[in-house]
Amino acid sequence: MSGERHSRKIFNAFFYSFAGFLFLYSAYLFLSNLDQLFVTEAAVKTREITNWGEDREILNQFAGGFWKDPYFWKSLNLTLVITLITTLIATLLGIPTAYALSRYRIPGKSMVEIFFSSLMVMPGSVIGICLIVMFNYGPLWDLQNLLGFKFAHSIFPGMVIASLVLSFAFGMSAWKATFDSVNPRFEQVARSLGSNRWRAFKTITFPLAKSGIVTGIILAWTRAMAEFSAVLFFCGTFRELPASRFSDFTKFLQMDQADWVSVAVWAQVEFGNIEYGFALAFVLVFIGGISVYVMHRIGAKGYVW
Amino acid sequence: MKMIKNLVVFLVISSFFLVTHAYGVEKRLLFHAGLGQRAALNEIKAVFEKRHPDIKVNFSYKGSGYFIADITRSRQGDLFMPGEEFYLMQAVERGFLTDYEPKTDIPAYFVTVIITPKGNPKNIKKIEDFAKPGVRVGLGNPRSCAIGIWHQKTFKKAGIWDKVKENATLSAKCIPELGNATQHRAIDATIVWATTAVLYLRDVEIIPIEHKYRGIIRLPVGVLKFARYREEAQGLMDFILSEEGRAIFHKHAYAVNPVIPVDKQGFCLDGTTDQDMEYLVNSAKAVKDESFPVTKETVGDLAGEVLRQKKTTRAGD
Amino acid sequence: MDLRSRGGWWPALCIGITGIILAVYILLVTSNWIYLGLHDTLYFFSKSRMWERFWLTVWTATVSMSFSLLIGIPAGYALSRFRFPCRYLFASIIDLPIVVSPAVVGAFLFGITTRFPFDWISEYYGIYIGRNVYGVLLVQFTVTAAFCARLMKASFDMIPTRFEAVSHSLGASPSRTFFKVVLPMAKNGIIASMIVVWARAAAEWEGLMLFVGATEGKTDIMPFAIYLDWNGGMMGWVTSMSIVCILMAISAISAMKIIGGKSNVW
Repeated sequence: MSGERHSRKIFNAFFYSFAGFLFLYSAYLFLSNLDQLFVTEAAVKTREITNWGEDREILNQFAGGFWKDPYFWKSLNLTLVITLITTLIATLLGIPTAYALSRYRIPGKSMVEIFFSSLMVMPGSVIGICLIVMFNYGPLWDLQNLLGFKFAHSIFPGMVIASLVLSFAFGMSAWKATFDSVNPRFEQVARSLGSNRWRAFKTITFPLAKSGIVTGIILAWTRAMAEFSAVLFFCGTFRELPASRFSDFTKFLQMDQADWVSVAVWAQVEFGNIEYGFALAFVLVFIGGISVYVMHRIGAKGYVW
Repeated sequence: MKMIKNLVVFLVISSFFLVTHAYGVEKRLLFHAGLGQRAALNEIKAVFEKRHPDIKVNFSYKGSGYFIADITRSRQGDLFMPGEEFYLMQAVERGFLTDYEPKTDIPAYFVTVIITPKGNPKNIKKIEDFAKPGVRVGLGNPRSCAIGIWHQKTFKKAGIWDKVKENATLSAKCIPELGNATQHRAIDATIVWATTAVLYLRDVEIIPIEHKYRGIIRLPVGVLKFARYREEAQGLMDFILSEEGRAIFHKHAYAVNPVIPVDKQGFCLDGTTDQDMEYLVNSAKAVKDESFPVTKETVGDLAGEVLRQKKTTRAGD
Repeated sequence: MDLRSRGGWWPALCIGITGIILAVYILLVTSNWIYLGLHDTLYFFSKSRMWERFWLTVWTATVSMSFSLLIGIPAGYALSRFRFPCRYLFASIIDLPIVVSPAVVGAFLFGITTRFPFDWISEYYGIYIGRNVYGVLLVQFTVTAAFCARLMKASFDMIPTRFEAVSHSLGASPSRTFFKVVLPMAKNGIIASMIVVWARAAAEWEGLMLFVGATEGKTDIMPFAIYLDWNGGMMGWVTSMSIVCILMAISAISAMKIIGGKSNVW
């Protein structure tokens, strides 16, 4: 009897160790870089040499003094506003699409599913290149010339579109899986009792799928926040542009002269402000950690990103 | 069972593969360089590796501001070739480079040119045209790419820096981004090195800058103090500085004249680089126009680039 | 199903939106073909440089996939079956590298390669651990190991625990149960996860930007080569490599659907 318990314990320990390895690896990856936040003398001396008009007093503090720098708050603002808009558009477009793909017989449905699934493993640089080629050449270019407005390198349509591509795909997969798990019989019963399709959806399917829909929304938002390559290729950075480049609306929302936070991490590290870049990275990790914890708590059934 | 056995076998084979890969007998040099030098450095690497089969060169491309941080933190690297001498001097100050001779360790020079999208829609002909209202200008970020420093210098000398800043639509982290934006007609005009302009011959118009605004930028190379393979790195550096190395640079539109008179700020004083500019403008014409003759007189050493780019209908082989 | 019945505006709206979205996405991925044209596509596909990158991508993705699977299958089983305190926190921390942008992960990996145990390996063996193909493998492993664990957890969740309970009651040891009962039932899930993890590893490049250098043919896997050539103005290479990447992703997912079948994981 005790031999069996013993072998059981070894068995359990074997599996725990793998999960534990992943946990320790992830923890080590993030925690061991905490000392990148501390300013070294070498970094201070470098900044004395490169005087590009930054505020050296702020940058020489712990973690680049990121909470004092208005650029940090504006970038966070910009990212949050754009991702919220993206999530909203993804929800409004994604739920009907997921419903249609789940319930109705559309020709080539399996091809469509394969296509959207493959978007999730497509490299971000490919998405960025496709966006640039799509908008700067061909019929869409002429359309943009007609409107007098260019989509690339802009904040409002540009960043929203860049983060929408993948956020929509992820959200739609989650919502489609949710609608697949709701038995269509309930709607059919409701319709046989006389309600029309929209009412059946609104009163029967939607409440049943509510937690799945919420999961999909959080997933779409998380993916939009984690977008990097498409925004980099399609929009670039906006920090050094003059204030006159931005519309009054953008300034009102405190989004002028700011960058998408993932792009800002990379840009700051490329510029040499390592502490500042890592501080931004830690902020992103924190936000991501909270959102994934929330998703676990509300019982997301292993939806993958 | 079978699949697990397959997996384990696969894993064993992969690790075997990795380990033998690790114990290769070649020496590997780590070369920190700016992204703008990629084309020329690839060719140099090919020639050098053919001569010395036991040495392999790995490149590490970073933004100019990141070099110092990377080298400081990782203490790895054999050779260093940033896009501007300024960044190398920072490394010298920190003691990363042991023996750098400003007079002799310059393999090539960059020359600034104006580029505009195909057809030159806003009709840019000279530096002062950048201040015209409605011109979308692309500027470089001085923190991360060397061209940013030169944008400031050039426009400040012309006295139009504030107006040009108002016209700025794009702030580029690296110089190829400016070239791409011009190719995609996202901006109307910008200033880049000739070596960047030569990559986009089919899709841009190249306009040489007049002497007093034309910048000559020194491209330095140096061996780092903590090089693992010092003799081999020195050998590569000697190759880069030799006649053959300079000829390779010249093929990619660097200026390799031994002496170019410049004023204190770095703007050129006479027409030493005019011949190279003429070759560049002719190359742009040759790629766009089938009937333009491609000879040594018209395009000089750039013939290789021109022929390469004529092979495809869309830019860039 | 009858699409013209009462309350017909809702299905029409759904189908209409679906159609528009599909058209936009299809335009997105085929714009490369349209831009490049047939002659140029064939030209670029005939150059060996393209296939060197392709082979590099394939073998690095395969090696990282095997390491990820090795770690991910047991970890997924542990996450699925065992109940321990703060398992949500545990799972969240494991998931962190795949939730944040890979650029952020790349920055952290750059930090990690300059300290123990990597600098020790670097000194001892005389290789630069982060600067060559090992850096690529490290990044690919980091972003796919937790992903694999999550996928395996989902597929193990689909298998009811009754089978294991029955097996135990019949006297099999836990390890025998695992190998003879659980794994064969999870076979479809494992195959599906394998392919998806491979495709994810082949698509990873943002983590490489900050610390793995770009050696022609040695470390620039396809998405990274797209970024580097984009910065070299080689639009032809960029668009043709994008086409190859798109085809790789689509064929991987098609293979997963065909082989994985009823895995219900994705």
